[in-house]
Amino acid sequence: MVARTGERERCATGIDGLDTILYGGIPKANTVLLTGSCGTGKTSLALEFLIHGALKGENSLFVSVTENSEKLLANIIPYRFFDKSLIKSGRLVFVDLPIMYERLGMSKPELSMEEIDLLVSAIGDLAKELGTKRLVVDSITSVCYKLKTSEKIRDFILKLAKTLSDLNCTSMLVGEVAAESHAYSSFGVEEAIADGIILMANMERRGDLLRTLQVIKMRGTMHSRTKYVLDLTPMGVLLVPLLKGGSTG
Amino acid sequence: MTDGPVGAQQIAAEIAETPPSSAISLQMSVDNYLDVIRGVVDLFANKNEMDTIYVTATISSDAIKRVLEALDIDSSRVYFVDCISHIMMGAPTLHDENTTLVESPTMLENLMLKVEYLIRRSQSKSKLVVIDSINSLAIHNNNWILSEFLHILVSGLRSRNAYTVILSVEEHSTPEINNMVNLVCDHGIRAGKQEG
Repeated sequence: MVARTGERERCATGIDGLDTILYGGIPKANTVLLTGSCGTGKTSLALEFLIHGALKGENSLFVSVTENSEKLLANIIPYRFFDKSLIKSGRLVFVDLPIMYERLGMSKPELSMEEIDLLVSAIGDLAKELGTKRLVVDSITSVCYKLKTSEKIRDFILKLAKTLSDLNCTSMLVGEVAAESHAYSSFGVEEAIADGIILMANMERRGDLLRTLQVIKMRGTMHSRTKYVLDLTPMGVLLVPLLKGGSTG
Repeated sequence: MTDGPVGAQQIAAEIAETPPSSAISLQMSVDNYLDVIRGVVDLFANKNEMDTIYVTATISSDAIKRVLEALDIDSSRVYFVDCISHIMMGAPTLHDENTTLVESPTMLENLMLKVEYLIRRSQSKSKLVVIDSINSLAIHNNNWILSEFLHILVSGLRSRNAYTVILSVEEHSTPEINNMVNLVCDHGIRAGKQEG
């Protein structure tokens, strides 16, 4: 995506509706918090972002924290555009963070400040070695549970975002919030540091449950702030505006 | 709106006279349903090798398939967005490649998303989207949301060069519904029994 004069270069997500909302895509090297409660489509959207990148020739890395990547791939939506050769060729790489913890000797339930630096370096080195231009951590909330304090979480996300940004890598950190929560993150720290927040939710309207998406903030670009309804299909994530006539407010 | 009521051949001919991306209001009597189906799906879409995306909110997609079969109309290029089977608790348990279910006719956004999905999936150069019917959707939705829905749906389909045909049943229509449809349509057809 070519930026207009004065605008930051974009990383087109490849998800048509989202790129329209973002006026062309995520500004390159931004770190975006993709947050929402369970079953809202966060992992599917993040994965699609990586697949489109890989299809365009950008090396993409999925750091899986909660689910091992084999299980993740087994449950993947049968995207019509997904080509398994992307994995074989190394364009799309899956890494399980628990294995990384093990290799780095991080067996304690809480990471120290030194271990945080070590973990950020390990992810950064891997991204550098692979020439990663798109990265997803799913989920950052699970990593945060090993950090415990706000200071450590802030430190970890700041350092990770800086490391990835220096590599010109656009990243999505998947966040989990409780279904009834009005917050953008579990620890209240993640959203303040991220360059962008994409909020995904389940919205109940007269007994119908709709999956919604809303871009709350995105540094470096104008964007729509309206709420959209989404569907996860084999053609990818599709979006339409939420009809206001039926909104509960 | 045409002056007098027309039959299947004339319905197809009138739609064919409009350019792609047109939105057409097709007002019919309950007695003319079969003529309308034949005119729109068979004599217009099938004849022009178009994929039809048939949004059904009145009767189930299974029932319409049976109608098409009885009329000896090829349904291989007809893709259904069925908004009624789920709420009737009669959704087919077997997967059918040509049928997509929407849980309720109140989920208008999901209806749009399913249409969008089928439009993207279609390999056909031209596409036709049939809404059957606006009156049935009006049972489940208020006029505000329905009007907004029609505006967004039809605008989207225009940009994709697809024909939209919105069916309404004369006997069940109200001035509000007619205004709503007229606002988004470029052309109106009134279907009726052929004279003579």
